[in-house]
Amino acid sequence: MTFSMKRVHAIFQKDLKDFSRNMAVSSIIFMPLILAAFYSRMGMDSIDAHYTIINMTFGMVATFVQCCLIAEEKEKNTLRGLMLSPATTSEILGGKSLLSFVLTIIIIFFSAFLVEYKPANIGVVAIAIVLSSFFYIGMGTLLGLLTKSVMEASFFVMPVIIVFSFGSFVMGFVDQYPILKVANYLPNIQLIDLATKVEVGAGFGDVLSNLGIIAAWVVVIFALTVVVYRKRMVD
Amino acid sequence: MPLQFINAEKRINDTLLFPSFDLSVQAGNVVAIHSSVNVREQLLDLLLGKTLLSNGEIRIAGSNIISNRRDIGFLFLDGGLYDRLTVEETLTFFKRLHSSSDRIEDIIRTVQLESKRKVKTSRLSYSEKKRVQFACLLLQNPAVYLFEEPDQNLDIESKRIFITLLHQLRSAEKSVLILTGNMESAVTAADEIYRLDENGLHTIQIGISEESLDEDTSEITDSIQPVRFEKIPTKVNEKIVLFDPPEIDYIESNDGQSFLHIKGESFPSVFTLNELEERLLPFGFFRCHRSYIVNLQKVREVITWTRNSFSLVLDDAEKSTIPLSKTKMADLKVMLGLK
Repeated sequence: MTFSMKRVHAIFQKDLKDFSRNMAVSSIIFMPLILAAFYSRMGMDSIDAHYTIINMTFGMVATFVQCCLIAEEKEKNTLRGLMLSPATTSEILGGKSLLSFVLTIIIIFFSAFLVEYKPANIGVVAIAIVLSSFFYIGMGTLLGLLTKSVMEASFFVMPVIIVFSFGSFVMGFVDQYPILKVANYLPNIQLIDLATKVEVGAGFGDVLSNLGIIAAWVVVIFALTVVVYRKRMVD
Repeated sequence: MPLQFINAEKRINDTLLFPSFDLSVQAGNVVAIHSSVNVREQLLDLLLGKTLLSNGEIRIAGSNIISNRRDIGFLFLDGGLYDRLTVEETLTFFKRLHSSSDRIEDIIRTVQLESKRKVKTSRLSYSEKKRVQFACLLLQNPAVYLFEEPDQNLDIESKRIFITLLHQLRSAEKSVLILTGNMESAVTAADEIYRLDENGLHTIQIGISEESLDEDTSEITDSIQPVRFEKIPTKVNEKIVLFDPPEIDYIESNDGQSFLHIKGESFPSVFTLNELEERLLPFGFFRCHRSYIVNLQKVREVITWTRNSFSLVLDDAEKSTIPLSKTKMADLKVMLGLK
């Protein structure tokens, strides 16, 4: 069975229509934009402030939307229909992720525009953002597969949003609690680290370690998702 | 493409769910398995590959089911739809998902939802939602159709559409298997009916040979019983309860045991269907099917599904429908004084 773009596109279009009519989930994508507008009016233009918004977009758009899309399919017993169709696992998850991915990138673009964030090296930052969005979408898929309903999904997503979008505040306590140094390896903090380096003129070669750590997170979350999906396939 | 069960047997821990049986659903055939909910769910799980048979195997077109599960199209009792999509959008999605070449308009016409094509599926009635699911299944166009309780809770219009759909599937040489716990639905929809339980697979309504056997025994009982009384005895636990014939709504035979249906409850009778038919004929009862006798006083409506399949709707609280076989239709017309 080959990977068919036609089926991925069919799933993408179906989800786009469904999503645009689902106000309970779709309204959340405006949250980062509103926050971005506030920040820019308040004159907060540090890298940390910009990345609070970007990381929040990841949590609220990539993870939350993806999680709700999958949880709803499970809740309404429609995922079974998709699984029994000729569409393969990668086509189903690909079609669903495509929507969250497109939304994430659009929201990040507009938020950056609102807060007037202009990275010194746009190429490196773009790669880092795309890579991070893969991680958050993978996380959304995983949570969506583990939960049974949209209600449950939105509950489980909350701690994820808090840890990953406001996680950067944790760094303030590192001197007090050295154990928190572990948080340094979180993908959101790696992303901020990378962006800070870029601002002082770092090139692609200087941020390879940051990109590597984010990529490692992506690999781990994808592997977990595939394992869980295979297990849930029989449900 | 036939669906075959070969020596299929299922045990769960120490309990035997069903002993080994052979069943083949040929192309162009509609077969119903009448079973309890447990057996039905197990059969579905087996076909979905969630559990494995304790013994034997299930084949599609001669090869094991594992490799070609996608040749089966399932209609689940609790199947879902995308609430926020309209009927047309739902079908467009399924058409693209299954790379179908059928036209959406034709499919919508088949399930008679033309007036609802721009309506979101969440606004449809239960029966209409089920028809959308039939339509999705038609777009999938599998070789084997599997229906789980297809006409449960459906309105009469949707039942008629379902039965017409089965005729189309027969002529398109599809194999259809219906899993149901409702004998009436099995009798109306299928060509062959089986009962599957812990005693194995039994054919229901095999016909002439069994019937002539019944008639022989009824003649013997007639000669033994010189006095006829009008009440019909039934056994409830160890008690014998007597009913007046006019109280009885209809009588159903199941596994050689006849059951009197009275006000929505059923009571096992000590007589065979043929004995009952003879006794009840003077009271306005009518043998409308090999397995059914109906009290004509209680019949409200005769429904014609297709030219050859009919049902009777009774005037009781549940509006029970019971099948009327085509050969008996002529007799009924005579009894009613219709030409």
